[in-house]
Amino acid sequence: MTTRPDTLQGSLPLLVLTLLHRRGPLHGYAITSHIHDLSDALRIEEGSLYPSLHRMEEAGWIKARTITTEHNRRARAYDITAAGRRQLGVEEAKWRSVTDAVNHVLKHA
Amino acid sequence: MSWLSRIANAFRSSDVDRGLDDEMAFHIESRIADLVAAGMTRDAAEALARRQFGNRLRLREESRDIKLLPWLDSLVRDVRLGARMLRKNGPVTAAAILSLSLALGACMAAFSLVDALILRPLPVHQPERLIYLTFPGTNPDLPENDVFSDPAFVRLRDAGRGRVDLFAMAYPSRPRVTFDVASGERETVRTQFVTGNAFELLGVGPTVGRLLTMQDDERQAAHPVAVLSHAFWRQRFGGDPGIVGRWFVMHGTKDDRQFQIVGVTEARFSGVEPGYSTDVWIPYAMQDPSTFGNSGYRALRVIGRLNENVAAEQVHGVLQAAFTNFRHEDVANNFGPDPPADRVANFINTPLRVRSAATGVSPLRARFQRPLWVLSAIAALMLLIAGSNVANLFLARIAARQDEMSLRLSLGAGRGRLIQQLLIESGIVAGAACLVGVVLAMVAAPAVVSLLKSTDDPVLLDLRIDWPFVAFIGGMTVLCSALLGLAPALRASNVEPMTALKANRGRTSARARTMRPFVVIQVAFSLIVLFVGGLLVKSFVRLSSVSPGFATSDVLLVSWEAVQHVERNQQHAALLQVLDRLRDLPGVAAVSAAEGNVLGRFGYNIPVPGTARETIEANLSRVTPGFFETMKIPLVAGRTFTRGDFELERPTVVIVNQSFAKRYFGDQPAVGRRFDLRWGGPRAPHEVVGVVADARYDLHKPPVPTIYVLIPLNGHDTLHVRVTGEATTIAARLREEVRATTPLLRVTSITSQSSMLDRTVVRERLLALLAGFFALVGLVLTAVGVYGTLSYTVVQRTREIGIRIALGARAVAAVRSVLADTTGATLIGVAFGLAGGLYASRFVTTLLFEAAPLDVSSLALPLGVLLLAALVAAAAPAWRAARVDPVIALRNE
Repeated sequence: MTTRPDTLQGSLPLLVLTLLHRRGPLHGYAITSHIHDLSDALRIEEGSLYPSLHRMEEAGWIKARTITTEHNRRARAYDITAAGRRQLGVEEAKWRSVTDAVNHVLKHA
Repeated sequence: MSWLSRIANAFRSSDVDRGLDDEMAFHIESRIADLVAAGMTRDAAEALARRQFGNRLRLREESRDIKLLPWLDSLVRDVRLGARMLRKNGPVTAAAILSLSLALGACMAAFSLVDALILRPLPVHQPERLIYLTFPGTNPDLPENDVFSDPAFVRLRDAGRGRVDLFAMAYPSRPRVTFDVASGERETVRTQFVTGNAFELLGVGPTVGRLLTMQDDERQAAHPVAVLSHAFWRQRFGGDPGIVGRWFVMHGTKDDRQFQIVGVTEARFSGVEPGYSTDVWIPYAMQDPSTFGNSGYRALRVIGRLNENVAAEQVHGVLQAAFTNFRHEDVANNFGPDPPADRVANFINTPLRVRSAATGVSPLRARFQRPLWVLSAIAALMLLIAGSNVANLFLARIAARQDEMSLRLSLGAGRGRLIQQLLIESGIVAGAACLVGVVLAMVAAPAVVSLLKSTDDPVLLDLRIDWPFVAFIGGMTVLCSALLGLAPALRASNVEPMTALKANRGRTSARARTMRPFVVIQVAFSLIVLFVGGLLVKSFVRLSSVSPGFATSDVLLVSWEAVQHVERNQQHAALLQVLDRLRDLPGVAAVSAAEGNVLGRFGYNIPVPGTARETIEANLSRVTPGFFETMKIPLVAGRTFTRGDFELERPTVVIVNQSFAKRYFGDQPAVGRRFDLRWGGPRAPHEVVGVVADARYDLHKPPVPTIYVLIPLNGHDTLHVRVTGEATTIAARLREEVRATTPLLRVTSITSQSSMLDRTVVRERLLALLAGFFALVGLVLTAVGVYGTLSYTVVQRTREIGIRIALGARAVAAVRSVLADTTGATLIGVAFGLAGGLYASRFVTTLLFEAAPLDVSSLALPLGVLLLAALVAAAAPAWRAARVDPVIALRNE
């Protein structure tokens, strides 16, 4: 089963910020791979990660720099910023309140 | 927002796009690699990776909008806000743009002149490898001489072989030619004799036909061919390719010769002399036969192309050796018997210089290079004055907008954004000023060029808008924006959000202090410009008030040409007829003729009697009877020339001027004395029959000793006509009369003596006019700057002054406290200005005539004017400070 991209889109920042926060700088492909490895359910249209990354970059939550991979290729790696860590807290709180609310309805309906 | 995206695409999309593409490509390739490693075939892996990734184009668009729009959006908003802020301050903005554009226009005009005359490389192949040869001149006006004789050129060419390929281009001449034989109409073309290899060595090709080659330069007088310049071809023949093969007639003093047009040069090339273009090139072999092998006839520029891997210094040695050898052998042709040894040694050991011809060879440049740099420097100073002035205005405005700034900071605007905002505002002002400046420059630069030229001496500087010019304008705009915006921007970014909101009138004196450096700059530079400009104006006024010693405004100079070639005495008789006819015309006071139209062009060395080795230099002026009466040169002793003297086969009577009499005969009376003179024939004793007052045609120099002799009329002379009525109507009449008198002659041009004289002071007039104008503008700008700073200070300190006065301080003390800052700045500026002005004056001393920089009046006048202007500017603010009413001032709080 594949989750439709648009429902996942809203939670992408949370996923990306969490990944970067816990695992340090990653390039776009690594981010996708990690998400896939951790959950088959969250299979997204891979390319749509990038506009999302760029939006977060513009917002100042993540910062990109050019790195060289072990195969000697140049890639853009993203790292979380201080503002990104603050945002991570906000996103987590938002996610929790939404899931709590949904769970509450499911339990008591 | 789609139009914004489009602008973004135009500006910086390519970098962004490349980054996005790389990133996506990396992703897809990594995915393929992983899939292949997991055992999938490459084709299947590629297809799957692409499918999973999604629509790359759409994703790229999306990312690009995310990256570019905020940047563009803020830019557009800042520009809008900036424009609104500037409009709100309409008059201030207009004044800023006006003063800046004036200075910028001056800078651009100066640059386009400097570019055209000094900087621009010749439009030929590898111009940096071109050289030309010079040697020190004896004339102080032309410190470098670049004319060589035919035998000298041949020796140098042979010596340089293998290292440098030398060719010769004669000094341009302006013969009369007839292109349309049917109408017989004559016109003047700028013609140049060139060796056959000139075009090949320059690397210039033809547009149509062919250019000259060595085959056109083999035997004397055997190659009647000609090449036209592209510009002349377009202008005279409308670019008709059928012109190749046509013949034309060139009229000489001795005969008429036919030439066939063989080709037209390529468009970019119009000669090697910036300022003068050549119309027609003719093979060297077609020169007057008497010039070949004649070391006394010097009319050639020697130019060359260095061979690969040869430096200019490497050819100097061989060329110098050849030149010295040549001069050694040439002594006999240049000195009489038993010449003074030191002069001979000087002659032989004349150093030869190898100069770069990358930007062409130009006597115009030699004359105007320094004045142009001086004007450029003045224009640059103007820009600094105007820039400081506008920066001051901006600073004052920033102070007024302190509240806005601190509010924006408090609301979370980044300092970067505030600085960007202010830089954009100054950018708008600088950009607008640049546009106006370009328009001013496009009017001003040709106007300056037209000051340089006269009817028979056209100056054609190519003032085109090319890349260097555009780059210069761009650089200027950026420089101005930075100059104007930076100080205010830094100032604004120092605003503390909280304190500024709380106590917005807290740090007033600090604010005024930031304006002080600009007052210093303005005063200092304005004083420099005033001082230098004053010197140049004074020099010109002195020069203009020099009396030439002869009539100027009412003397017309009539040049003529022979319509057909006849015997010399026939021509002489025809001219005599013309002179007699003109003399009787109503409105004509006197008539005569003289060689050329300038007295004393011809240097002559005369041995002093008794001491054969000592010589004095005198000018030989060839005239007809009636010359002194026509020119109103007073007779001091003896008599003037008579018709009887003139009719002798070889007149041996001379008239000398007072300088000559004094120099040669001392206190003894000169009339009746004799000395040996050789001109146009063997040496013979000549008798002085009269002494006339000194006259000078070059106002820069003291009168030179002059000998007047009688000439047979022969084609090199100009008719001098002194008129009593309206010169223009009589000029037309003169043409008619000459035509009616003889079919042999035709009038070619009529000018006035005064315009000829004006030409000798062109450089001084140009400098005085422009420097004087700038000095004035600089003064006004500085006064405005001082006024602005003081007004601002008074407004800022009204409360403080009010308190002081309320506490019993006298108005004078209030005024003094307001003025103290600016007065200090002015005095510092004056000190810098005086030092700078004295330093700068070193560069103009060679351009000055009887005006010394260290003169009391030269120093005191600009200083006085500047201080007076500052005083006037300070008066109104000081008055306002003195009139501060403590009650009102404190109530405002």
